[in-house]
Amino acid sequence: MQRFWNDPVSWGHAGIYLLGAIAILAVVIVFVTYAIYFERKVIGWMQYRKGPNRTGPLGLLQTVADVAKLLIKEDTIPAKADKALFILAPALAFVPSFLVLAIIPYGLNLQFADLNVGFLYYVALSGITTIAIILGGWSSNNKYALLGGMRSAAQMISYEVPLVLSVVGIAMMTESLNLREIVIHQEGYFWHWNFLPQIIGFAVFVVAAISELNRTPFDLPEAESELVAGYHVEYSGFRFAFFMLTEYIYVYAIACLATILFLGGWNPPAPQLDFIPGLLWFALKFAFIVFFLFWIRATLPRLRVDQLMGMAWKVLLPLAILNIFLTALGIEWWGKGG
Amino acid sequence: MIRTEELLLNVGPQHPSTHGVFRIIVKLDGEIITEATPVMGYLHRGTEKLAENLNFTQIIPYTDRMDYVSAMTNNYVLVHAVEKMMGLEIPERAEFLRLIVMELQRVASHLVWWGTYLLDIGALSPFLYAFNDRERILQLFNELCGARLTYNYMRVGGVKWDAPEGWIGRVKEFVRDMREKLREYDDLASGNEIFLSRIKGVGAYDARTAIDYGLSGANLRSTGVKWDLRKNEPYSLYSRFEFDVPVGKNGDCYDRYLIRMEEMRQSLRILEQALEQFPEGGETMGKVPRVIRPPVGEIYVRIESPRGEIGCYIVSKGKAEPFRLKFRRPSFVNLQILPKLLVGESMTNLVTILGGIDIVLGEVDC
Amino acid sequence: MRGTGIVKGLGVTLRTMGSKKVTMKYPDVPIQMPDRFRGVQYFEPDKCIVCNQCARVCPTDCITLTGKPNPDPEKKGKVIDTFDLNFEICILCDLCTEVCPTEAIVMTNNFELAAYSRDDLFKDRDWLYGNNRNIREDNNNIGAPQRGGAK
Repeated sequence: MQRFWNDPVSWGHAGIYLLGAIAILAVVIVFVTYAIYFERKVIGWMQYRKGPNRTGPLGLLQTVADVAKLLIKEDTIPAKADKALFILAPALAFVPSFLVLAIIPYGLNLQFADLNVGFLYYVALSGITTIAIILGGWSSNNKYALLGGMRSAAQMISYEVPLVLSVVGIAMMTESLNLREIVIHQEGYFWHWNFLPQIIGFAVFVVAAISELNRTPFDLPEAESELVAGYHVEYSGFRFAFFMLTEYIYVYAIACLATILFLGGWNPPAPQLDFIPGLLWFALKFAFIVFFLFWIRATLPRLRVDQLMGMAWKVLLPLAILNIFLTALGIEWWGKGG
Repeated sequence: MIRTEELLLNVGPQHPSTHGVFRIIVKLDGEIITEATPVMGYLHRGTEKLAENLNFTQIIPYTDRMDYVSAMTNNYVLVHAVEKMMGLEIPERAEFLRLIVMELQRVASHLVWWGTYLLDIGALSPFLYAFNDRERILQLFNELCGARLTYNYMRVGGVKWDAPEGWIGRVKEFVRDMREKLREYDDLASGNEIFLSRIKGVGAYDARTAIDYGLSGANLRSTGVKWDLRKNEPYSLYSRFEFDVPVGKNGDCYDRYLIRMEEMRQSLRILEQALEQFPEGGETMGKVPRVIRPPVGEIYVRIESPRGEIGCYIVSKGKAEPFRLKFRRPSFVNLQILPKLLVGESMTNLVTILGGIDIVLGEVDC
Repeated sequence: MRGTGIVKGLGVTLRTMGSKKVTMKYPDVPIQMPDRFRGVQYFEPDKCIVCNQCARVCPTDCITLTGKPNPDPEKKGKVIDTFDLNFEICILCDLCTEVCPTEAIVMTNNFELAAYSRDDLFKDRDWLYGNNRNIREDNNNIGAPQRGGAK
């Protein structure tokens, strides 16, 4: 992809970019379909039951059936809802999630856009989804949705701060925010990967990431048993499908980012194993992170909203700042690359 | 000038966490509740009025449906009241069967409470684990009396069915496995920091308040009052077995949680002893007249159900049907403290407190 | 140490993931109920002596029956003519089988009663006679009057 950057724009190049974008969209949608399927299966296995196994062989067509059902539902808009904002909110939530996928490198030469501020681009765009959630909650003209939207906005804004700060340590060690550079810096054995020297940063990143994704234990906005689905309670049919799609694309993006930033991206655990293609290593680490998210969802109860806020500002933020301080000390004493 | 209004929210009859059809009208100031009014009666079926036209054997299926999660104790309170009025002798084997069944029912009821409480708080898996174990208990009951939820098992003077082949062995196996499982559940939930921070200090009240409101069961024992009808007014064969009564200190949801978990272990202890001492032979029905006609008079008996003190008051005019039958239902009385506990709490704690009181709507409405 | 509770919980769910699943394959594989299970009733008209005990003991009054004099002039007593069970209100409590002196009405282990119309739930004598799969063996009719025909 990169070699086309420096040539003048022509129809051929634009066509190749379009095809590449469609290919990525297809890959991500297949991922979302089977992530939903595997989430239900894995959570089922952790509860002594099999997950879906009737639609299609082994239940593989379950998500397809669910999406088909959502598509053919009646499109209801509440009578007193703000129509324009109501229709805008799901689209506004979805677009940034797809845009974020441009910067993710899957291999040394497999990337759409090699931006030098890669991680910052992700953080900036995921903020737009927060606005869309508030819009969705407010325009529904429903007290439950409003409460859910407000809680969700407070949560997502508070947890973006530790999320960004936890990566600063890596940026200091690598001297770059470019995602490709960060992975190249982690070449070697698996103890060179960033999760060991930056273990505090890794912990803070994982917790902040689960909260950004609005998943259990931080799924207050969608708490079924209290607010009966929070900000998307009035959405049905395809608009609801958009919100779900957004959430799972963010799962994909965060899992890719965690793999790249902390687990070494496409590097094998030992250089002798590099006959196995890097894409496979990337996929394995990515699958492990996604499984970890499902595992946490099956086990932990939910945090209350004041405890959530307390944890962001009183626990995660000081830990992230401590991490930066310790990284600075480490670089000072042992030199870079330690 | 900015004027903030109070929000009137209906935690409506249809809600995933109100444990049945139950409505709470809540006045909110931001996230804090200023006033809460419970509205009940959506499940009222007129059991006490219907009982005035039915003889006592016919009322027993109706009692099953009051507190449907713990139907055996409901059966027992009615049958015990009639037997006491008529002065009947129950054979020993029947009493043993009744006690074993009631303690198994206590474990099953507390499992339902545990699973649904954790589901309300947000954990998805304990619900399924609890119901998996409860399924084994329901299978045992199915083999014993033919139904899984509405047993119609006890009769005035004894029980209807004797234990089938190998049933006692299966109950012993279940008790052993359940002890292991309770340890696993402690690992899964009781030590979980998120769970503890959600329920510690929530919904606390003191012993004087509890007694004034007439609370019973784990709600009363969590404040430090050691009152359990199985020990203080022993009925059936409870005086023969050794068991402890767990008592709390602070009167908050965490103490109620620990008490109910410990009650499950004590029930397993009673079951082990009862299964050891189970008599070899014996009748399942005592000497009962053909038509059950209690003498003229009235009686009130009370026993310890998993939710608290359940009582049965019968006024009889010498006929086969009661003149008036009244049940003192524990969930109905325990619910009275809800408006007082909810003032000043946040919306999230409403679900935690309501779950901690452990109500069943069939019993609240009767 | 803080945090160990969560780690132990994660261990429990991971261990459960590897254990045997309890999902049943119903409705592809029918459920085997124990023998004493109280399902839909089975009625044998030849055994019924029209004593009316079942209709009297039913807590919800769902049984209505009529008898006619025995068509055979030698024998005394009545024979059953119509026997209706209203399954909209039957609570499957098995008191009717408990008091029947001849075990004319017994429970089976069938529990599938769903129908598309409420009229289909009003079962008559012929349907109840045809419902003869999975009849319960152990009946224990302790409430049956001791005269004439009790086993």
